[in-house]
Amino acid sequence: MTAATLTTMSPRRLALHRLLRHGSFWFGGGAILLILLVALVGPLFTLDPVAQNLGARLVPPVWDVRGSWAHPLGTDQLGRDLLARLVDGARISMFIGIATVLVSGLIGTAMGMAAGYFGGRVDLVINFLITIRLTLPVVLVALVVVAVVGSSLSVLVVVIGLLLWDRFAVVTRSATQRLAHSDFVIAARAIGSSTPRILLVEILPNIVGPLIVVATVEVAHAVLLEAALSFLGLGVKPPLASWGLMVAESKNQLLFRPWLIAIPGVALVTLVLAINLLGDALRDVVAPEGRA
Amino acid sequence: MLRFLARRLLVTLLVIACTSVLAFSLVHLSGDPAAAMAGEGASPADVESIRRLYGFDQPIHTQYFAWIGKILTGDFGRSFYLRQSVITVLAEHAPVTAKLGLSALVFALLLSIPLGILAGLHRDTALDRFALGLAVAGQALPSFLFALLLIYIFGVQLRWLPISGSATWLHFVLPSVTLGYYAAPALMRLTRSGMIDVMQSDHVRTARAYGLPAWRVVLLHALRSAIIPVVSLAAVQLGFMLGGSIVVETVFSLKGLGLLAWQSIQRSDIEVIQAILLLIALIYALLTLLADLLNALIDPRIRIS
Repeated sequence: MTAATLTTMSPRRLALHRLLRHGSFWFGGGAILLILLVALVGPLFTLDPVAQNLGARLVPPVWDVRGSWAHPLGTDQLGRDLLARLVDGARISMFIGIATVLVSGLIGTAMGMAAGYFGGRVDLVINFLITIRLTLPVVLVALVVVAVVGSSLSVLVVVIGLLLWDRFAVVTRSATQRLAHSDFVIAARAIGSSTPRILLVEILPNIVGPLIVVATVEVAHAVLLEAALSFLGLGVKPPLASWGLMVAESKNQLLFRPWLIAIPGVALVTLVLAINLLGDALRDVVAPEGRA
Repeated sequence: MLRFLARRLLVTLLVIACTSVLAFSLVHLSGDPAAAMAGEGASPADVESIRRLYGFDQPIHTQYFAWIGKILTGDFGRSFYLRQSVITVLAEHAPVTAKLGLSALVFALLLSIPLGILAGLHRDTALDRFALGLAVAGQALPSFLFALLLIYIFGVQLRWLPISGSATWLHFVLPSVTLGYYAAPALMRLTRSGMIDVMQSDHVRTARAYGLPAWRVVLLHALRSAIIPVVSLAAVQLGFMLGGSIVVETVFSLKGLGLLAWQSIQRSDIEVIQAILLLIALIYALLTLLADLLNALIDPRIRIS
C-alpha cells in the first residue's frame, strides 16, 4: 500500500488497516477468542469440575510417567480433574472480567461525560469523587466488603465494578472536554438538540475509541483482582474453580507438585497477557499520536 | 503557591473526612457486627451484651461520631481479639510494612530509572523494546504468582533467601522485589519519556556542544530535569504499594499491616480493620499531596489553574 492510498483512506478504514497489521492484535485477540471458546464449549467435553475422587488424588499430568489420559492435567488434592477445573476457571475469569467492566464502565463513563461536558461544580464534585476512590486501597476494601456481605459471584462483580471505575472516568472526562467545544457539538446545541441527545448521539460515538482501550485494560485489572481475592480466600467460593483459588489451594504443594500451581498460573498469565496485548494494539490504533 | 497549598490542604482534609465515613460504613455494611464478633454458637444474650458493650445498638451516625471523636483524641479503640489497644497493635505491625514499602520502592527505582534512561537514549532499538516488553509481561503476572515463583526459585531450588518471616533484612528481599516490581513499569515509562524530551532540549544540546563526556551530559544535565516527575510519581506509587502489600505480606508471612488487616478481617476485629483502612488512606492522601506539591513546584502552570 502506498502513502497516497493511505492518506485517501477514511480514518475508520485507516484504523482498521493499522489494526489488522498489528502483531499484538492477532496474538492477543486470538488467545482471548480461544479462551472464550474453551470457557463456552469446554464444559461439554470435560469431567465434572467439582466431583471428588479420593482414590485418585494428586495424579500427575499426562507428561509424567505416572500420569494417564484419564486426567490429562492430573488431579488436585481432592481428586478433582484439573483440566475440568481449569476450564471452569476460564468461565469464571471471563465472566468476572466482562461483567465488572460493564458495571465500572457504565459508572465511570457517565461520571466522566458529566464532568467533561458540564464542567464547573459538576466537574469539581466528580473530580473529588475520583480522588476519594483513589485514596481507598482496592484489595483491602474489596476484602472487607466480601467478608461483611458474604461472597458470591454477583457480590464480586458489584464490588470490583464499584472499585474500578476511576480510569473510565478520567479518560472519558478529558475526551469529552475536548469535544464539548467542538463545532459539531455547538451546531447540535444551536439546532436545539437536548442535552441527553448531545451526550449520547454526538459525543459518545466519538469517544468510543479511548473507551474500548480503557475497557480492555480494566478487564485485565478485574481478572487479576478476582484472582487475588480468591487467592486470599475471600473471592470465588469453593467448590467453584477460580484460577486464583486453585493456586491458593495448592500453595503448600509448591515443593513437591509445582505443576498444581503452574497450570492455573500459566492460564491466568496467558489470559491477562493476551488482554494487555490486545489493549496495546488498540491503543496504537486509536491514539496513534501517543505511539512512542 | 501559598493559595495552591491552602487549597490542596483543604481538599486533602475533605478527602480524609470522607474516607473515614467510608471506612466506618464499609465495616457496618451488614448492619450489626455483633453477631459476627460473637462467633458461631453464641447465645442471643451474648450477642446482645456485645451489641451493648460496643454501642452497636446506637444509631449509626452516633456510632460514627463517637468513633471519629475518639480518634481525634488519639484513641483508636481496642482490638477485641488481641485484647490490646489498637494503637499498640498498629505500632507493632507498622514498622514491618514501612520497611517493606520503602525497600520495595528502592528496588523499583533501581530497576526502572536505569532501564528508563537506557530505553529513552536508545529509542526504538531492541533494548527499548525489551524494556517495554518487560513492562507489559510483568503487568500480566499476578503478584501472588510472582511471589510463589520467587519462593520456588530462590527459596526452594537455590536456597539463597529466606521465604517467610521478618527476622533479618534478608527476609525482606523477596517481598520487596515482588512488591516493587509492579511499581517499576510506570516509573520506567515516565523516565523514558522524560529522557526523550530532555535530550532534545537546549541546555542538553549546549552541554553536548561543550564537549562534556556523554555520561556527564546524561547523569548531571539531562537526568536532573527528567527525574522530578518520576520522584513525585514514586510518592504516589509508595501509597499504592502500602495498600497492595496485603497479598505480599500474606504470602511471605510478614507481620505487617497487610497481614494484620487480613487476619482482622477473618476475625471480624472491626476496630482494627477501621483503623487500618483509615491509616492507609491517610498515608496515601498525604503522599499524593506531596506529589502534587512537588509537581507544582517545578511546573507553575499547575499552581495557577
